[in-house]
Amino acid sequence: MNKNFFEVTNASFKVGGINKVNNVSFSIEKEGDIICLLGPSGIGKTTILRSIAGLEKIETGSIKLKGKTLSSNKISIEPEDRNISLSFQENSLFPHFTVEENINLGKIRKNPGKKKKISINKIIKLLNIGKILDHYPHQISAGEAQRVSLARSLASQPDLLLLDEPLSNVDQSFKEEIQVQLKKLLKDLKITTIIVTHDSYEAFYLGTKCGIILNKQLKQFDDPYNVYHFPNSIEVVNFLNRGILIPAKVTGEDSLENKDLGTIKGNFIKHYKKGTDVKLLLQPEDLEHDDQSNLKLEVVDRKFRGTNFIYTLKTNSNLLIPVFVHSHHIHQHEVDEKFGIKRPINIDHIVCF
Amino acid sequence: MIKKFNIWYLSSFLISFIVVIPIITVFTSFFEDTSNYFEILKKTFFLEYVFNSLTLLIGVLFLTFILGVGSAYIVSFYHFPGANFFKWALILSFAVPPYIYAYSLFAFFENYGTAFTILKNVFGDGNYNKHIPKFDGMFGLILSISFSLFAYVYILARSSFLYQSQSLIELGKNLGFSKFKSFYSIILPSARPAIVAGLSLVAMETLAEFGAVDFFSVNTLTTGIYNAWIAFDDLAFANRISFFLLIFIFILFLTENLSRRKAKYHLEAKGGFKKKEKIKLYGSKSFFAFMFCFILFFLSFLFPLSQMLYWTIKFPENLNGLQITDLLLNTLYLVSLSSLVLITFALISNYGNRVSNKKILNFLSTLSISGYAIPGVILAIAFITFIAWFDESIIKTLGFLSIKKIFIGSILGLVVVYFVRFYSLAFNGIKSGYEKINISVDESAYLLGYSKSKTFLNIHIPYLRNSILFVIILISLEIIRELPITLILRPFNFETFATTAYISASEDLLEAAAVPSLCLIVIASFFILFTSKYILRDNNE
Repeated sequence: MNKNFFEVTNASFKVGGINKVNNVSFSIEKEGDIICLLGPSGIGKTTILRSIAGLEKIETGSIKLKGKTLSSNKISIEPEDRNISLSFQENSLFPHFTVEENINLGKIRKNPGKKKKISINKIIKLLNIGKILDHYPHQISAGEAQRVSLARSLASQPDLLLLDEPLSNVDQSFKEEIQVQLKKLLKDLKITTIIVTHDSYEAFYLGTKCGIILNKQLKQFDDPYNVYHFPNSIEVVNFLNRGILIPAKVTGEDSLENKDLGTIKGNFIKHYKKGTDVKLLLQPEDLEHDDQSNLKLEVVDRKFRGTNFIYTLKTNSNLLIPVFVHSHHIHQHEVDEKFGIKRPINIDHIVCF
Repeated sequence: MIKKFNIWYLSSFLISFIVVIPIITVFTSFFEDTSNYFEILKKTFFLEYVFNSLTLLIGVLFLTFILGVGSAYIVSFYHFPGANFFKWALILSFAVPPYIYAYSLFAFFENYGTAFTILKNVFGDGNYNKHIPKFDGMFGLILSISFSLFAYVYILARSSFLYQSQSLIELGKNLGFSKFKSFYSIILPSARPAIVAGLSLVAMETLAEFGAVDFFSVNTLTTGIYNAWIAFDDLAFANRISFFLLIFIFILFLTENLSRRKAKYHLEAKGGFKKKEKIKLYGSKSFFAFMFCFILFFLSFLFPLSQMLYWTIKFPENLNGLQITDLLLNTLYLVSLSSLVLITFALISNYGNRVSNKKILNFLSTLSISGYAIPGVILAIAFITFIAWFDESIIKTLGFLSIKKIFIGSILGLVVVYFVRFYSLAFNGIKSGYEKINISVDESAYLLGYSKSKTFLNIHIPYLRNSILFVIILISLEIIRELPITLILRPFNFETFATTAYISASEDLLEAAAVPSLCLIVIASFFILFTSKYILRDNNE
């Protein structure tokens, strides 16, 4: 029988009597895997983490770690007995202890089963907090506090590490570097981790799997690649801000027809009967610029994004379509000018709803 | 998870309940025998009590407002020689309880008193007595209480002024307001909640004041209660007057609570906080500012201190037979025992409230901290009433030996009533420390494997160290000055500085009251100096 390391089954999460997320099921197969939960703020991601940590109860479903039930409608193991560490989004350092004392407090937990000892010095070095060890929490910045809190959680070498927006207060310039180091460290130490974030790029980079939480539900739980390329619902498309949905009619095994853009070819990821009316996901990188093309659309907006431009084009039926153009492209088109689109349009994976 | 019935919940429930008992006692005894209370009102001096209490209240509120707000305004907004000294020196007035101020006031202006001696020494013999004003009765009482209590208004108004956004004052300048207009239209209204809170404290203390009122023989509700009990041995009547006084005080308490809520709201708006540059005063303005503060400091602290010192030196024979060491040890014994009990229970109760988060517990704690608003006289008498009832109707019925002796006229009884009276000080002091600990700190501790008890002992107690110290000193200061509870409930032959001073004064041996009064002022000043940095927090801590 396939036994998961960590498992949430049909759990509904509540806080203060208000339903936040219903009927959630997901699992972590192997010890050491990292999963990310992604969703807009206030959706209940933190509630899920708090319930897993034992700070909130669940009334339906179950939460299991290493085969042992931690929470269900009958059982609720005290947070201190779970060996799960949660690093809060807001500063939760002990204000009357120095940074070093705070980190060392994390060490008290006895962990007989662990093979590899975590080196506190390594954590300190990685998170770049060596210089502030003798400072008190009120003397350090929000970003530093977040890193210290992370260090404290890592030092306690938990069976399961929960990180609530771990890098939200970290400077942008430092963020990517920390993401790389964090991933490496978690992998090296084989610490199973659930990360909550609203930053999809962070989730795609760090997570072995990603869960998308929208409208009180776990909408999709899959590999980052699949979540990105094969979003399973319109809500996920909208949340990830992946492109626009245009009306189209299925015309064959590998083709669709749109009134304004004509024939679009590619591989359907789901089969549709010929003649079905669908909504096609059109992403900025799906269309190519071609001055020679006879399909010309009017430019209504142009955004400069450093490495590229995003043109917004208007079709005859007033659809607004985004198109990617490399910023080294020889010539530019001004607003109100006509812009040619290469035909026939080819899309690798056709995602329809 | 955390919301489960546990030992913490149970203990905080019990603690709060004990504190609420005396309040319930007063209310129930009022309804015990309602047939003749109109008679009592008519026959006695009840109306005089009410009239005097109101006159006293209005007089004291007026004077403390002028003194407290005036001095707070000057030291917060202006820089002049001695400003930094007066900032904390003005709170030394707390070391002089109203009754000791009353003794000093009387001693200085009485016939052939200190003023007479000074005039005689300066101008030679003469009939000065008829030219020396007499400060006794209601007027002397108002002065005594005001000089002793104005610091409540001073401290709260000053902290509010300090937090006032500089931009608010600059706005006044922009609008072309004069200094006077700025003060009236901007500074004063925005400090209003703090000032009202300070005045409410003064009002509660004034209504509860016993020593000075008794000394000047002004009949107020509080002395009426005491007299009903001591002179007529009529507990029921004492309880009845208590009931009226309690209603009076509950109205004040509500006002204070409501305005305090606003004050908190007010302080949270920290966005525009800028460290204020004080305005430097020159010439005559600087001189007036200095003189205002100096005279206030002189009258509120130096004057009673020197009067008591003068008498101690002038009548050294009073030192004989006075067991100063015993008095000191007794005072310190009460202080340390009560502090220990209060701090322990306040900590447990606060933590219980924090981890169980039950509505009933919140309600009970709110009610239990109202003990501070109830005059010591009422508490002591309610306590005696309750013990007597409990002894008669429960203990004796069950066939046990009387417990009266264990609680009345014993250290235990004294500590229990101090506990009820000062529980709100301890509870609120610890609570304000706790409010600064984010709940995620507790949760982090659990997640690091700390149990609830371990979190309390290893994480919270070290954090609350400063709050605990501050509360201990506040309690000590109150107990050193406390008079009516100690007077009514102390064991036979057990005296403190306060009771010795009171007894000497009530036997018309005012000179003999000087030594214990002086000791009391000195010890209290020592405690105040120790806490001044907490009371006068200048930065955004």
